[in-house]
Amino acid sequence: MSKKHHENAPITARQLTDEFMRLKKGSVSRRHFLGVTGLGLAAAVMSRFPGAGAFNSAAYAAEDLGTQLSIATWPNYHDPATFENFKAATGVAVEVNVFGSNEEMLAKIQAGASGWSLFVPTNYTISTYQKLGLIEELDLSKIPNFSQESQNARFTDQGKIDGKTYALPKNWGTTGFAVNTSKVKSPIKTWKDFFDLAQTEADGRAMVHDYQLTTIGSALVALGYDFNSIKADELAKAEELLIKVKPHLFAINSDYQPSMRSTDAWMTMCWTNDGAQLNRDMPEIAYILGTDGGEIWTDYYAIPKDAPNKAAGYALLNYLMDPANAVKEHIANGAPTTDSRVIALLPAEITGNKIVYPDEAALTPLEFGAAVTLTDPGRAELMARFKSA
Amino acid sequence: MRALVTFVYLFLYTPIVLIVLFSFNAGRNASEFVGFSTEWYGKALSNAFLMEALQNSLIVGFTSAGLATLFGTMAALGLERVSAKTRAVFDALFAAAIVVPGVVIGIATLVALVEVFGLANSLIASVWPGEAPPRMQLGFGSIIAAHGLFTMALVTMIVKARIASLGRDIVEASSDLYATPMTTFWQIVFPQILPSVLAGFLLAFTFSFDDFIIAFFVAGSKTTLPIYVFASIRRGVTPEINAIAAMVLVASLILILSARFLMRDRTANS
Amino acid sequence: MVITQEFRKKLVTLALIGPAGLWLFVFLVLPFIAILVFAFGKRAPEGGYQAAFTIEQFANLGSRAAAFVNTLMLAPAGAIACLLIAYPVAYYLAVKAHPRHRLLLVSLVVVPFWTSLLVRTYAWMYLLGARGIPHLLELIGIENVRLINTPGAVLLGIVYGYLPLMIMPIYVSLEKLDRRLLEASADLGARPVSTFFGITVPLSLPGVMTGMALVTILLLGEYLIPQLLGGGKVFFIGNALVDLFLQSRNWPFGSAIAVTLVAVVVVVLMVAMRIAWRFAGTRQVDLV
Repeated sequence: MSKKHHENAPITARQLTDEFMRLKKGSVSRRHFLGVTGLGLAAAVMSRFPGAGAFNSAAYAAEDLGTQLSIATWPNYHDPATFENFKAATGVAVEVNVFGSNEEMLAKIQAGASGWSLFVPTNYTISTYQKLGLIEELDLSKIPNFSQESQNARFTDQGKIDGKTYALPKNWGTTGFAVNTSKVKSPIKTWKDFFDLAQTEADGRAMVHDYQLTTIGSALVALGYDFNSIKADELAKAEELLIKVKPHLFAINSDYQPSMRSTDAWMTMCWTNDGAQLNRDMPEIAYILGTDGGEIWTDYYAIPKDAPNKAAGYALLNYLMDPANAVKEHIANGAPTTDSRVIALLPAEITGNKIVYPDEAALTPLEFGAAVTLTDPGRAELMARFKSA
Repeated sequence: MRALVTFVYLFLYTPIVLIVLFSFNAGRNASEFVGFSTEWYGKALSNAFLMEALQNSLIVGFTSAGLATLFGTMAALGLERVSAKTRAVFDALFAAAIVVPGVVIGIATLVALVEVFGLANSLIASVWPGEAPPRMQLGFGSIIAAHGLFTMALVTMIVKARIASLGRDIVEASSDLYATPMTTFWQIVFPQILPSVLAGFLLAFTFSFDDFIIAFFVAGSKTTLPIYVFASIRRGVTPEINAIAAMVLVASLILILSARFLMRDRTANS
Repeated sequence: MVITQEFRKKLVTLALIGPAGLWLFVFLVLPFIAILVFAFGKRAPEGGYQAAFTIEQFANLGSRAAAFVNTLMLAPAGAIACLLIAYPVAYYLAVKAHPRHRLLLVSLVVVPFWTSLLVRTYAWMYLLGARGIPHLLELIGIENVRLINTPGAVLLGIVYGYLPLMIMPIYVSLEKLDRRLLEASADLGARPVSTFFGITVPLSLPGVMTGMALVTILLLGEYLIPQLLGGGKVFFIGNALVDLFLQSRNWPFGSAIAVTLVAVVVVVLMVAMRIAWRFAGTRQVDLV
């Protein structure tokens, strides 16, 4: 861990100035700064004054947080220790509900009374939640650990609508494909290759996601159309391709990790974090971004309007925005962070991992999912027809 | 024929035995048996989310089975005393509760409750004096209600069959000896139907404890054990899931064997 | 005096059946009315339900024809496959098995049915997956066999899941069979085969019908087995329903399909009861 390394090394005047400037810019937490510069004693003194500690349980005593809250999120997405530590600090137990797609999450929240006090929607869904009145503007004064300055605007602007902040970024990522190179020998670079191989060399061994955005989007990209298209004629072509490929698929399922690990499936549509986890454990599984297009995304934290325990939702959000906590989350789930304060804390083997932090050139063809795809009845019906065909 | 029967028993039990066997696998990789270990049981038992799901399932199971047994038994007794027409209506509704697929029960309950709660919540909010009006939402109540629907019908059928086999003479004999109806019930009828009532309770509990599809729709923010297991199967990469599965199997096994033991006197006709 | 006693009796009856009646009304009748109303509505622009009166949802049923056809083919196919295996087992248990072992053997058939279907299906996911049977085949030189996520895997899961439910009613009807009939038949010089088809089979038909009806009806609403062993490719009506409520958020269409499914179940049940009555007049539906 880089932090530990810093703590043990004597610090030069130059480094001190650099660290101090980063603190002023807000890119490191005060505690990190104090740790790095060896001013631990000062920190101990300061923490006795209100507001001095970046995070301590005394700060939460002012408001009644209750005893529990539910969070809706994605599988393999958090460090379980995060919630244990949060409980130790605040007394609030966290119940984790995991989902397979944003469509599923929206369906649950639309069915009323989700019971969540915090959830993790993806960029393209935020405006719909806002429009339907399902989320509320965040009170940033309750999230002092969030720092706008250290965020990469490319990944945070979709959390804002009309200048109001409705959601804060958790991490960004990409949707490419994971290929078991010991089984599939042909070179594979594009989504067109993906769908071709799914019918030939990887016949019966390829998986596509179980929701509209990436499955339809990738088929559109393979045909040379826009990832987010809702044009009827283009969607009809995509449906034709998908239905032609369907008999050759191994499965339509967004939970591809078990099948890839058991080698039942040889290639799959895949998100950054799963790609990183698969590649870490099985180096023969490569994670590839389509050179003809694909998705780039950001997952956000938002608070439902009818959250049963808003105070605790804010407290957890603030806790997760603390770089010291966020860094553990990123090491656990393997998705790239949007926060430069967190990057500074990440070990080099993660920041140097091309699956997690690809070169800019690889990202150029990728597009963010468009809000319209979420609610477009044409795409929803196409997906449902494809699955029931 | 013997060979075929042996094969069928092997077919029924091999998968179950394998799951239990692999739950003791020391290796992380489920593909080969490395050595004996109870590590995954330790992992499973110290998993707070799993334990919460288990606790939720126990709460739902006991409550729904308790209510279903109470109301189902009462209905079975009461239906002896009503007109043929009323009985036909109840029989039809009970039959419907049993044959309507679980997925439809789940959806219909969800749709109806979302509407009712929407109305009720805006009504409460409009008359509530304070800041945060209480809100009705999906959770334990809705799972208990939806599970209880099926299991109450089940209990009623089991107890009714038992009452029918009792015959009226035993009750009439008791009345002839000048017992009051209450005394007759507690001293004569109740001990006779008690085994089937208990069996009904255990079956109701087992159903509720195992049900996935109904809870999937109406659980709201609650996670029951089958919902947790389903989620783990979907993403499952550790043998922890085998340990959970083995424990679920053993628990159901104990329950069903108790139920069969209680009903052993009528095994011949079931 | 007579009146108050009569009144009291009525009151007790009401107290006995009241809670069950209320439960049935609130959680069976009302929800069914709700989906009936929803089935005539429209999908709201962002998903969910919008009040309307239209039959467009029912008119659109054709777009799920594949799921209906799949279900209406695989459910009876699964039931017949169960029957073919179940009948000899039930016959053995009722006629051939030693009476001392009978209770144990019968219990061993029933027990799996009441243990978690989810867990039992998961066991097959494991066995049919690359680390299970295909791995064993690899050891003897047969490579890259794929078993999971095929219609065959779903059919296997169905037989595994519902076999006990088929064995039990057949066993019950065979067990009631008066053995003196078989002896009489033999005494009168009938060959065993003609005794079997002339006496045993007709007398066991009510059990066969009960089993077929139970298994078929449960399969019509099946979700888990195709989901876990079919990889989202083998779609039953149950899967289409889950998809419509939990992915495409088309509540009215989902409601229309749910109503149609119930109608199919009722038709199947009525046909089965008709046949069962014709043969033996029994209506026994014993799950235990």
